[in-house]
Amino acid sequence: MSIEVTGPKILWEFSFFGLFDVTITETVLSSCVVMLILVIGSILLGRNLKKRPGKKQVLLEKVVTMLYNMVRDTMGAHNIRFAPYIGALFCSSLLGTLISMTGFFRSATADISTTIVWALITSVLVWFYSIKNQGFFGWLKGFTEPIVVMTPMNIVSEVAQPVSMAFRHFGNVAGGSVLTMLIYNALAGLSAMVFGWIPNAIISAIPILQVGIPAILSLYFDLFSGFIQALVFSMLTMVYVGAACPPPAEKSGESNS
Amino acid sequence: MIFLAKTEPFISLNIWTAIFTLVNLLIVFFIMKKYLFKPVKKMIDDRQQEIDDQYADADRSRKEAAALKEQYETRLAEANAESDEILKAAYRKSQLRDEEMLKEAQEKASQTLRRATEQVALEKKRAMNEIKDEVSDMAVDIAAAVLARDIKAEEHKQLIDSFIDNFGESHD
Repeated sequence: MSIEVTGPKILWEFSFFGLFDVTITETVLSSCVVMLILVIGSILLGRNLKKRPGKKQVLLEKVVTMLYNMVRDTMGAHNIRFAPYIGALFCSSLLGTLISMTGFFRSATADISTTIVWALITSVLVWFYSIKNQGFFGWLKGFTEPIVVMTPMNIVSEVAQPVSMAFRHFGNVAGGSVLTMLIYNALAGLSAMVFGWIPNAIISAIPILQVGIPAILSLYFDLFSGFIQALVFSMLTMVYVGAACPPPAEKSGESNS
Repeated sequence: MIFLAKTEPFISLNIWTAIFTLVNLLIVFFIMKKYLFKPVKKMIDDRQQEIDDQYADADRSRKEAAALKEQYETRLAEANAESDEILKAAYRKSQLRDEEMLKEAQEKASQTLRRATEQVALEKKRAMNEIKDEVSDMAVDIAAAVLARDIKAEEHKQLIDSFIDNFGESHD
């Protein structure tokens, strides 16, 4: 028995009119499914809102209020307009991780290509708002603080920020799935070792230990870890972007990015 | 869709995955914002606004009611004071009138008494004069009668004087 730790399967590979090669992986499929679920779910949930809400709407309002409160507490009331993006990011991340629990799809977040894009969006937001608030040279000057010799470090930390965010999320989810797979296979071996003495060839071949244990582990590695990572990623985005958008002493609120 | 057996390395950057991820996130963001977050937030805010308005209305009504109550109470107290005042004034007035009437009556009574006394004195004087006249007439008559008996002139005069003196003494 050999276990191969691999990335997403390549579903479709074609040459775009001979100009460049296009490879569509499992991640793209998962990502699109998550997108469809969220789009359809949003439209369904957002319809027929009433002044006197039903149970479903109460729950929905509670969640939305929680999101807005979290954004306000973390980023400040002047940055409340980022709440929809944080919500979308959180939902995409959470569902992108949890979708592997269906058994048909690979976690979209178990691919560094996904998480690096999200992390880069955060960085681009930070850079955009830093330049907007401090001016281009003010932003550059920020790298020389507190003293000029710190400049290389500051640049490294600026680059490390999205990389670390991306790898944290990717590593947790992908690592979780790898661990689950390893344990799953190990349990098969253990099962064969423990029950292999049974003479009946069919019974001894059933990996009994694989039945409940991976589900419990999956509860931690997929559900809990997925939730925590989505929260951490959203929280870091809020903190970084919030730091780039200080309270409106000199800046004015504008439409969303 | 053709399922190929090929897989990507565990850590690999695929620009197409990145593009799809970016597009999907943007779609999710815009759709969620337009169809979920904004309507829900608006609904929550509207309801909050409505509740605030209703509370403000209730507060205002309560304040108005309190003001009215105070006004009524003040007016009631004023009315009470006024009625008291009126009552007191009427009482004082009636008392004053009583006293006046009493004084008037007393005055009248005393006047009547005085007049009666004066009249009595006048009557007495008149009666006295009448009596005096009569007495003097009688004296003349008596004198005439006595003269008829021929009395000395000296005796005569003495007699009249003593008579008048005696009369006056006994009647004055």
